[in-house]
Amino acid sequence: MQIDFHYYATYCAAFLAGYSHEECLAICYSAQFTDCCTRTLLSTIGGPAEAATTQLQLEMMDARTDILGLQDITRIWSSFHFLPRDLKADPGKGSRIYKAKYRLICGPNGDLLVKTVNLAKESLQAVGIAMHVLADTWAHQYFAGTPSQVINNTDYWFFELLPAEASGDSANSGDSRESGDAKRAFTERRITFRHNPTGKDDLDKGIYTSTVYQLEENSVMSLGHGRAGHLPDYSFMRYKYLPAWGKYEEVVKDNPSDYYKAFCQMVYALRYLRGDHETFETDRYDTEKVSPYETEIKEILEKRQLDACADWKAFGEKLSGCEIPDFDADRYCTEYKQASVDDKDATFLGSYIDAALAQKTMVTNQIFQSDNLLAGYSVEYNESRFLGIRDFIHYVENKKKKGKA
Amino acid sequence: MSKFQRVQNIVIGLSMLISAAVLILFPEGGCVYIMLFLAASLILRGISELIYYFTMARYMVGGKLILFIGAVFFDFGFFTLTLSDESNLFVLAYLLGFHAFAGLVNVLRALEARRYKSTSWRINMAQGVASILTVLICMLFSHNETLLVYCYCAGMIYSAALRIYSVFRRTAVVYIQ
Repeated sequence: MQIDFHYYATYCAAFLAGYSHEECLAICYSAQFTDCCTRTLLSTIGGPAEAATTQLQLEMMDARTDILGLQDITRIWSSFHFLPRDLKADPGKGSRIYKAKYRLICGPNGDLLVKTVNLAKESLQAVGIAMHVLADTWAHQYFAGTPSQVINNTDYWFFELLPAEASGDSANSGDSRESGDAKRAFTERRITFRHNPTGKDDLDKGIYTSTVYQLEENSVMSLGHGRAGHLPDYSFMRYKYLPAWGKYEEVVKDNPSDYYKAFCQMVYALRYLRGDHETFETDRYDTEKVSPYETEIKEILEKRQLDACADWKAFGEKLSGCEIPDFDADRYCTEYKQASVDDKDATFLGSYIDAALAQKTMVTNQIFQSDNLLAGYSVEYNESRFLGIRDFIHYVENKKKKGKA
Repeated sequence: MSKFQRVQNIVIGLSMLISAAVLILFPEGGCVYIMLFLAASLILRGISELIYYFTMARYMVGGKLILFIGAVFFDFGFFTLTLSDESNLFVLAYLLGFHAFAGLVNVLRALEARRYKSTSWRINMAQGVASILTVLICMLFSHNETLLVYCYCAGMIYSAALRIYSVFRRTAVVYIQ
């Protein structure tokens, strides 16, 4: 997903759930900041490197693909962008390492999502992170947050499904053919992937940018949905393809439907976090709250555009009657940088970092507990000595303080 | 390129430079050592691809490709080994064939990269064209075995230099967030 959904749509969901304008801004800022909080940014503000929630292109270029490097990548991407659906999933046949990778495939309504949402009670920043993770479980499903050719690879069998009325001339090209659907007719158009990093996706011609195919299993080119380009990130996109893990069974991805479910589930989760529901259950969606705006939301989701920020922003401002400022990643950086060491935790980014470390340590621990070492070792806190990664010392001490209070 | 791949490329580049030096110093028997080194590399690569296939890639859509690649590498390794005790000229002809094939693959990869508008096509094309030119020059001087060896060495040094250069080059990577 992109800034349009993580920032503006999250604002709308929070407002529908009953949060105030200011609270909504804090939540949607935190949700979008999850795509910006890199080691590079943290080093410039003096934050702990382990709190990184994403990696820059340049960081990926230099990323190690030895065991420790892969574990670091997996911790970041599985915790925040590709939350595993089922850590006990059984692919049937396969070696231990294959099964370990298979179990990291992302999907909605998993046990880890419940844990993520429950962890978000601490602060609005934690709520924002949880909403980012929740939304991505829908967009990024069928891909894993670890570099793996055998899980994340795609091949030439990749078709965009265009609604018949919207397909126009381009859909009637040589590669297109008619396909039936119970409710709507779609035409299929074979997708052309190119690997030009500066090239823009061409919606009219069906040319999209993806990562280059690499023969190596652990190449960063095979991380997440890189091989499928930005297709999972576009709300209007419908496509079918053969996932590498899928035993030649075609997967049809209907983003408009998935994104709508993601939105309704966000509203439900946010209402739970506000105390409107006693428990958070999977596969529940607050369609009731959203239904008055269903047509409007679906129109935004279905519109063929690379960036839906303007539409979501207009919808959000209509809902709340307040102006939604454009996202500025540096909005709270100066405050964090200028705060004294003791006061950093009380700043906006201090709380964000705390929430990010909590999410990362929880997901790493759950993966480790499932006998899967792809995200590394999880050290249970021991009062006598600290055995974990140094950056977590501060987080553990904070937890301890809060526990005593 | 990951750090591991960078180290891997430096090691391969240096090995090629050493092989070229050995061949220049001992044009009579140098070929045998190069053939042995080449055979060992191909066999090891083949084995690692086969292990990858049987443990993971066999469950992947299109995973048979890994099996074929592994089998081809393994087979070529042994074939190279069987040629190591043949006459120098015969061995050299085989090496040239191998070099021409590698050059052709590089050119094809460059054309594919260019079609996808990837910026990396130029270096692949340069490597491929240099390899093929080396082979053609060697064929022109095929009556003089020593000269043939030197031509081959020049091509190998050029390829090694390009490989080492590519390690220190910043390459744009598509990264999907």
